[in-house]
Amino acid sequence: MILEPLWAPFFEFAFMRRALFGGAALAASAAPLGVFLILRRMSMMGDAIAHGILPGVAIGFMLAGFSLPAMTAGGLLAGLGMAGLATWITGRTGLREDASLAALYPISLAGGVLLLGLAGRRLDLMHILFGSALAVDEHTLQAMLLVATVSLVLLAAIFRLLMFGSLDPLFLRGVSRFGPMAYGLFLGLVVINLVVGFQAIGALMVIGLMMLPAAAARFWSLNLPRILCLASAIAAVSVWLGLLFSYYAGLATGPCIVLVAGGFYLLSVVFGRVHGLLSRSYPLYSILRT
Amino acid sequence: MICSRNLEWGPCSRPLTPPLNLALSAGTVTAVLGANGSGKSSLLKVLAGLIRPLAGELKIAAAQLGATAYLQQHQALDRQYPINLQHLVDAGQWRSRLSRTERRERLHAVLVRWQLIGLESRPLSALSGGELQRALLARIDLQDPRLLLLDEPESAMDESGQQLFWNQVKRWQNEGRTVLVVCHNHIAVCRHVEQALWISAECCQFGSPAQLLAGRISTLQAA
Repeated sequence: MILEPLWAPFFEFAFMRRALFGGAALAASAAPLGVFLILRRMSMMGDAIAHGILPGVAIGFMLAGFSLPAMTAGGLLAGLGMAGLATWITGRTGLREDASLAALYPISLAGGVLLLGLAGRRLDLMHILFGSALAVDEHTLQAMLLVATVSLVLLAAIFRLLMFGSLDPLFLRGVSRFGPMAYGLFLGLVVINLVVGFQAIGALMVIGLMMLPAAAARFWSLNLPRILCLASAIAAVSVWLGLLFSYYAGLATGPCIVLVAGGFYLLSVVFGRVHGLLSRSYPLYSILRT
Repeated sequence: MICSRNLEWGPCSRPLTPPLNLALSAGTVTAVLGANGSGKSSLLKVLAGLIRPLAGELKIAAAQLGATAYLQQHQALDRQYPINLQHLVDAGQWRSRLSRTERRERLHAVLVRWQLIGLESRPLSALSGGELQRALLARIDLQDPRLLLLDEPESAMDESGQQLFWNQVKRWQNEGRTVLVVCHNHIAVCRHVEQALWISAECCQFGSPAQLLAGRISTLQAA
């Protein structure tokens, strides 16, 4: 079969299967979160949280060795701390949010890399930053599947609150008390998705898997549920193709996955039905596509 | 419906007007008049519970969630947001406990009332300013509020849209709802509203719009 190379590595190796299932599930839950980050104009916040996770992971490793729960807990605390700190600085000073985030994430990236260096050579920095399919063992897979399922269920439950919280916050305040709670839960989901993704996809790359499919999906529809589903699908396919690419080329997993997602994004920029370049220059194109 | 004693409001402990004593009964329509920057919008926000007053007492008989509807001055909505008009309007039934069929019927009735039939599936980016404003008013209509705080609701509307708006205000009043409307169109205010509140840094006056505006003109001429 000519298509066999698309499946063969996953039949052959258990670690590739685990990376595929875990990665695709996590991609499907992370991408809709990315859509809401974009709609809230908080794309930078995701970036900052992703970088903020690093020092937490490093401290978790220093305290407890290579233990997934310790590193995840460290990343979770550091990521939430990062989101809180950025919000606090913006609220208390005149600095705009994007500037305070841009100031914070180089600090935590540099701090994280130094801490990982201090932690010794037992931890491969490249694997933490850029991911490795080999890192997905049985426990990691379970964690990824659990986080993905819980995220999707919670996201469905707070969907309307998130939607109107980003579109029209004053209206939401007038009809519901749960707006701030939904926002906090949403930030928590972003952090935990990024934390759980760092092993397979890499701490620096997992944010790409969250944002790129989300940005790509916005080019294809004006219907939010459809955008969310499409973002999930693009992200999951990116994980699958990226894993294959990294397997055959012998390259780091994270960048391969993110580059595939980047490819989808660039295609959407050109061919996207809603805001794409072709639909802008040739109105007929968007009519043909509808 | 609204009772305030020595109410003061404004940015950073700098009250915009002398203390306001106000008593509005349910089922009244009141225009809030005054120059730019005199504190009309801030007053509406205080009444809506969005910002705290600086001093004084404020009692509102529609304090529970959903009983007060507030319409912002400038449509701050992101026009690129992936939502269509029907879903935007339908959010007015957020707290509704009606069945699905009844909700659909209410939505349809409101869309007819605000002349939005045919625009249901339009995304926000394809709506004109007046159409979006009618949609936001239709959403407030669906909310079934007892107190409506409307900040320059008809400024983006054409002649027929304004006529439609004032007709609906009349209906709201007949249904026993209380309406406060900030409006710079003094001719429309004199024609459609019976009482008004004039706000300025020197004084807060309450009376009929024609009286207040006539008094205003004479003080301007005297100056």
